[in-house]
Amino acid sequence: MNVLVVGAGEVGFHLAQRLSEENQDVVLIESDPERADFAAQHLDVITVVGNGASLSILEEAGVKGAAMLLAVTSRDEVNLIACLAAKRLGVQSTIARISNPEYYQRGSVLSREQMGIDLMINPERECARETFQLLRSAAATDVAQFADGRVQLLGLQVKPGAPVAGKTLLQLGEELSHRHYVTVAIVRDGVTTIPTGDSMIREGDQLYMLAPTNEVQDIPPMAGHDRFQLRRVMIAGGSTEGEYLAEVLLENGVEVTLLDRDRRRCVQLAESLPKALVLHADATDLELLEMEGVSGVDGYVSATHNDETNLLSSLLAKTAGARKVVSLIHKFEYLRLVPRVGIDASVSPRMATVNAILRYVRRGRVMTVASLAGIDAEAIEFRVDAASRVAGRSLRDLHFPKGSVVGTILRDDEILIPRGDDRIEAGDEVIVFALPDAIAEIEALFE
Amino acid sequence: MSLRKIANVVGLLQAFVALSMVLAGGVALLYGDGDAGPIFLSALITAVVGLGFYRLTRFEGEITSREGFAIVTMAWTATAVFGALPYFLSGTIDAPVAALFEAMSGFTTTGATVFSDIEALPHGILFWRSLTHWLGGMGIIVLVIAVLPYLGVGGMQLFRAEVPGPTPERLRPRITQTAKLLWLVYVGLTAAETVLYVLGGMSLFDAVNHAFATMATGGFSTKNASMAAFESPYIHWVTIVFMYLAGVNFSLHFRAATGRFLYGKDQEWRFFTGAVVFTAVLIAMVNLASGAYSPSLSGLEPAVRHALFQSVSIATTTGFVSADYELWVPAAQMTLLALFFLGGMAGSTGGGIKAVRVLLLLKQTANELRRHLHPRAIFLARVGKKPVKEEVMANVIGFVVLYLLLCLSGAVVLSYMGLDLLTALTASLATVGNVGPGFGMVGATENYGWMGSMELGVLSFLMLVGRLEIYTVLLLFHPELWKRRRSYH
Repeated sequence: MNVLVVGAGEVGFHLAQRLSEENQDVVLIESDPERADFAAQHLDVITVVGNGASLSILEEAGVKGAAMLLAVTSRDEVNLIACLAAKRLGVQSTIARISNPEYYQRGSVLSREQMGIDLMINPERECARETFQLLRSAAATDVAQFADGRVQLLGLQVKPGAPVAGKTLLQLGEELSHRHYVTVAIVRDGVTTIPTGDSMIREGDQLYMLAPTNEVQDIPPMAGHDRFQLRRVMIAGGSTEGEYLAEVLLENGVEVTLLDRDRRRCVQLAESLPKALVLHADATDLELLEMEGVSGVDGYVSATHNDETNLLSSLLAKTAGARKVVSLIHKFEYLRLVPRVGIDASVSPRMATVNAILRYVRRGRVMTVASLAGIDAEAIEFRVDAASRVAGRSLRDLHFPKGSVVGTILRDDEILIPRGDDRIEAGDEVIVFALPDAIAEIEALFE
Repeated sequence: MSLRKIANVVGLLQAFVALSMVLAGGVALLYGDGDAGPIFLSALITAVVGLGFYRLTRFEGEITSREGFAIVTMAWTATAVFGALPYFLSGTIDAPVAALFEAMSGFTTTGATVFSDIEALPHGILFWRSLTHWLGGMGIIVLVIAVLPYLGVGGMQLFRAEVPGPTPERLRPRITQTAKLLWLVYVGLTAAETVLYVLGGMSLFDAVNHAFATMATGGFSTKNASMAAFESPYIHWVTIVFMYLAGVNFSLHFRAATGRFLYGKDQEWRFFTGAVVFTAVLIAMVNLASGAYSPSLSGLEPAVRHALFQSVSIATTTGFVSADYELWVPAAQMTLLALFFLGGMAGSTGGGIKAVRVLLLLKQTANELRRHLHPRAIFLARVGKKPVKEEVMANVIGFVVLYLLLCLSGAVVLSYMGLDLLTALTASLATVGNVGPGFGMVGATENYGWMGSMELGVLSFLMLVGRLEIYTVLLLFHPELWKRRRSYH
């Protein structure tokens, strides 16, 4: 499949990388020659230098034969025009990264359908959604949702003395046969493995478990974490992500304190969020944070535009005693730093965008893909139709490739935690976890 | 600032005043009390002077917002001066200042009177008194804007300066259309009230006069004892309902007439209604407990009725009296006095501080209290879901401070003229707030007739400043308004 990616910023670069790794033919359009050059050197893609909204550049990039166009520059209007043009030139599906809600909400001059754009992704909103899930499952460092939120994946660290430590998955399965959960990945010393029945869980492991959303709260205690309820959250930084997050939290009845150092922005925030307490303050002003009770908050999110400020602010809050600290990180290089400095979790607006787009790109039979910040494994959601090879066969017969595991089977309203002799049937939705090497094979199996 | 433009618009307005005098003259002819001559003469003088000014001062160009303030103040002053002519020429009032006071009290819908025997007045004069209320209630300039589109964009400047409330609401894109709709609602409600009065056994003349005075939240009655002269509970209840309606934002009435009932969604409405009902309940309970009304089933209705009547009357700044509230216990009187600081809703015909300003001030105060807990917090006051801009809040605080200062200064000046404490204070409050009756020597059964020209002059000024929401008038005394802005082209 030929894919055009417009914009080689962090999102575009990462998207191109992931698609190229999955054997798609990627053409990357970028107006900045230096960035284009950088991408050309690091990725197995063609780069075209120029404006992605210009007809001649699109033609040069081979828009006529492309199956898909992903417009992910940081400018909404460029993305919109690129998608509009691509659709006119016969590109089947188009995806635009759009930050301004006025372009996709009701009240927009042209609807998404009229503009011929198949998907609009709002990075800030995706990011806020992800942060909220992280906050809600306090012990988790990673959270992802599947099947419209009916199934959740939790990534969390195994604490010393946790009930699951020192046991193999088989042993656990016998002990907890009444519980619905699947262990889908274990990360130990930076290496991701897809576990089998003999795999043993150790203290300090990063554990990824899948469970129906209503039973997810049972997972943290298994890994030695306390039960926890989200009551009060402080957000440092009135960025759009921070504002959206505050909105979601308030809707869920959480008390929100929001601070920003620009007074005019504070007034705007106070106008749009009547229930939040808005403070005109700096995210690193420890004295003020303490006065406003940072030590007693259940969640602290640093959401300024500046990564360094976010890291520092998160550290201050963690030291002061905030319970769960999440930092917004824009630069991909910093993401790996987060667990090392003692911050509980991080969220990247761009990573959230990449995920949302990849999810759509692999649609068709594939419905959802979640890339998780801390591990190499991916979660892929497939829909099985009657003609599929896997339909009607049991998991044992299917011989799933090494490095992959079936997490859940969704049949109508039922959520099945699969065992070896369970069958896959037409109409099922299957969530598979796989290491990158196994992805191609898995996709072939479900073809 | 062009005096030519001011004279032109003010002159034109007097033509309307003259026209309304002709109407009163017609009523005088109908009843033949001998006051038709002086009223028609007044109309002639007003028309000649007004149209003279209008013809001699034709101008090109727009009215600026500065000129708007000057025009509105001058227009109201001139209207009161010419409006005093019928009283003076008919000989019903001898002193010119007293006549001016009566006219000013009429147009500003205050309802304070210098007449001690109202029932002895000829019908034409009585009708003129009520008519001044009715014209002043919705705003004489708003009426002219509705009828004459010639003011153009300048109309908005005048409209803003005359309509009560912090920010007038536009019902239609054009100010002429908005003004027309407001007057339509006003006329409709007045007609409805007249019909209900007549059904209750009132004579047509009394019904029209009281309907005018109610809908304008004025308070002039054709009876010496005001509404207490009518012993029918039905008439009292009708008056309560319409006084209340006149104190509610007319935009809400308009929307209701088009089928959209937004009353409950309007926070100012909830606050205003809640405050009035709450004080009425308090007064009724105090009165029942003190034995002012017999605490039996038969005493319950009058206790509730009079408490509600007086609360609504004072809160909407109408000033009708159904019972001598000065005979009530001090607790009931004081509760009533507290309502002097409320006023009607913005966009109503009521005067006073206005419920929305009081509401905003309370919210701001609550925020200041919270600020001690969170010194760096940004708190915004809201009306309903709408956040109030900090500038608007500052304007409201400035207004309330000026309002209280004006009441206080008025009271001090009156006390220097020899008035006792209670009379001086409540007379000042009752005129700035356009309420009418106060306590003491200007109480429920008293009038302002015993005062000298000095006192009446001061009170006339207070009524004008109160009706035009202080800023409009006080601006005229600000030197910067009169400075010519240099232009280089």
